[in-house]
Amino acid sequence: MVNEYFSLHSYGGTLEYYLFELANFSALAFFVVFLYKLNYINSNSLIAWLAIFFTPLIINYFIIPPSLFGDQFQYAAEAMSLKASGTSAEYTVGDRFGIGNTVTLTAKMLGAVPLPNYMTVTSLAFANKFYLFITFLWLKRFFSNENEVLLYFLIPSIILYSSMGLRDTLCILLSLIFIINLLRDRYVFAVVFLSPLLLLKIQVFAVLLLYLIARLLFRAHKNYYLFMLFFLALLIGGFIWEEEILEVLNLYRLAFAAEDFIAPDGSFSYAAFSVYGVGAEALVLSSVGEAIFKAILNLPMFFIMPLPWNWSNIFYPLQALESWLLIYLYVRLGMKQNLYKNYEFILLTFILLIGSSMYALLMGNEGTFVRYRFSLFYPFLLAAFYLSSASYKDSKK
Amino acid sequence: MSILKEFNIKEKISISLEFFSELVFVKRSLYALGASLLLSFFIVQNSPPLFMVSSTLMEADTSTSTSMGNGGAADKLKLFGGLTDNKSGPAEQFSSNMNSYFLAQRMWSKGWGSKIFGNGDMNEEYFNKIPKRHTITDRIGAFISGYDLYDYFSAYDLQGYIKGTIGVRQRVGETSVIISTKTYNKDFATEFMNAVILETDQYAKERLILKSNKIISATYSQLAVSKNSMIASALATTINSEYFTIANLENDLPHLLDIIDPPHSSEYPIAPKVSAIFFSTAIIFLFASILFTFIQKNKEDLW
Repeated sequence: MVNEYFSLHSYGGTLEYYLFELANFSALAFFVVFLYKLNYINSNSLIAWLAIFFTPLIINYFIIPPSLFGDQFQYAAEAMSLKASGTSAEYTVGDRFGIGNTVTLTAKMLGAVPLPNYMTVTSLAFANKFYLFITFLWLKRFFSNENEVLLYFLIPSIILYSSMGLRDTLCILLSLIFIINLLRDRYVFAVVFLSPLLLLKIQVFAVLLLYLIARLLFRAHKNYYLFMLFFLALLIGGFIWEEEILEVLNLYRLAFAAEDFIAPDGSFSYAAFSVYGVGAEALVLSSVGEAIFKAILNLPMFFIMPLPWNWSNIFYPLQALESWLLIYLYVRLGMKQNLYKNYEFILLTFILLIGSSMYALLMGNEGTFVRYRFSLFYPFLLAAFYLSSASYKDSKK
Repeated sequence: MSILKEFNIKEKISISLEFFSELVFVKRSLYALGASLLLSFFIVQNSPPLFMVSSTLMEADTSTSTSMGNGGAADKLKLFGGLTDNKSGPAEQFSSNMNSYFLAQRMWSKGWGSKIFGNGDMNEEYFNKIPKRHTITDRIGAFISGYDLYDYFSAYDLQGYIKGTIGVRQRVGETSVIISTKTYNKDFATEFMNAVILETDQYAKERLILKSNKIISATYSQLAVSKNSMIASALATTINSEYFTIANLENDLPHLLDIIDPPHSSEYPIAPKVSAIFFSTAIIFLFASILFTFIQKNKEDLW
């Protein structure tokens, strides 16, 4: 029903909220039970996915106030406005590159999931869960052991971020499907899944585009010489477009520093930075060489953050532990069957390092960058896992 | 054909039919739907309808007060910081005036506090002594920490109420401003919003008139001692300009914002969504019934 007064109404943690969201859970749970009966998934997956589908009800409102991740309200309001009236919410403005708006695209993608209700911010979290489950079904086809794949979907951060109505899950899944398709030499599919990232997360798009160029134009995954050629071309390109690259990097370095800035008088963010932000010149990078040097220095810290002296809530030590676990898993996969000698794995790791270095240069708010790191790292981790699978080896024979 | 063979569609269809006949199309599902209907009725009956009350305003032309500027000394004085220009637009001014304590105080003295926190008695002796209730945890907290809780409601509570319930929003690049609130009592909210809009505008006007009067009296005293003809001329221009401002403000016309749509309520409530409640409860009960039967029949496989 189109209602001219329709707007996102925050049901908070009321009975109606749980009613609407339990209905969404029930619909997804019914889908899992049905697939189990059809023998698409095993009993472990059935139980695990029933639990995963239940997490939005526990996390949003119950454990974490949704205002902590305030972006969800924007997406929810836009999705509901589009569903109710077919037009964008009044405060959704802007058009990136003349092709669309990030909030609108996120809302359209999340709103496309056939859920019974889109009434609260948590409805979008269920849409995220649906996409996560579909990706699981797609990915497990390449592995003989379904339980092993399931374990990668039980990593706490993927459960946490997909339990909220954020766009991070979409970015992670699109990146993952892009990389796997690239590894399977399906370039057209890969490009189809890469394109939405231009609006959803431009920095991830830039990193993955570099991967596409390395693989498609330089064939850098084939042997040492082609990899070195790509590496040299990247360096030369960096020096040729030094000014443009530094302009973008400096802009974001200052923006992230400003966002995280707290002034002595208690004021914060951009307004405080514009008044007190003395020493901002120290953040400005003057050459690509300096950028590379600083990125290398910041990289270890970026990989293991949040560091103990920055822990301010219970999630921080858990995320710190998880960051070590993810590094361990990646290294273990690299060591397994001498994967580290494989040029496909070397190129994959190199692109991951480039993306991480870029984030390490911009590093500001701990919570934000832990989320960014996970969004970048997780698809590469699953791609490394895919490289170690029998299915990948068979496809290369 | 190979894809069809791979998926074994025939077998999948037969399993699906079996699934639906065993778990969905059973008597228990009917009972579940019946129970869901009962619960939905109960919830809808116990949920008061929540309405959206809104009003559309448009920025009024507030430039008249400076139209006396002729590029002369008064303007130069302004340039040197003698008189500061207000940089915020009418919408921001309206919003800050509406959320101010002084506005709340004016509304309080007109008895709105009594209508919101008390029984609506307009007797000043009553509404200045409306007892304030505190929760047990608040009382324990106050006792342990050694601070006093207020015994009566005051204009600060009304200020908090206005801030917490009435939203002012303006779309980027547009001159219209939307004021809205969500309420269970639409008649009262419409009346209250109307009063807030008019009182805010009146308060803004009175504040500016007061400011102009103060500037005039201070400028007169400066004019009396000024011996420089240029400065005297500039001061006279300032006085004229302020008198012009007062003349503009002392009328019944709105000052900051014109009312395009007076406060009115939505025809349908925004909550509860009756159809969504019935639909959601039906899905939950139906799934609970399916899950129960499923677990009963697959106990061995699952554990």
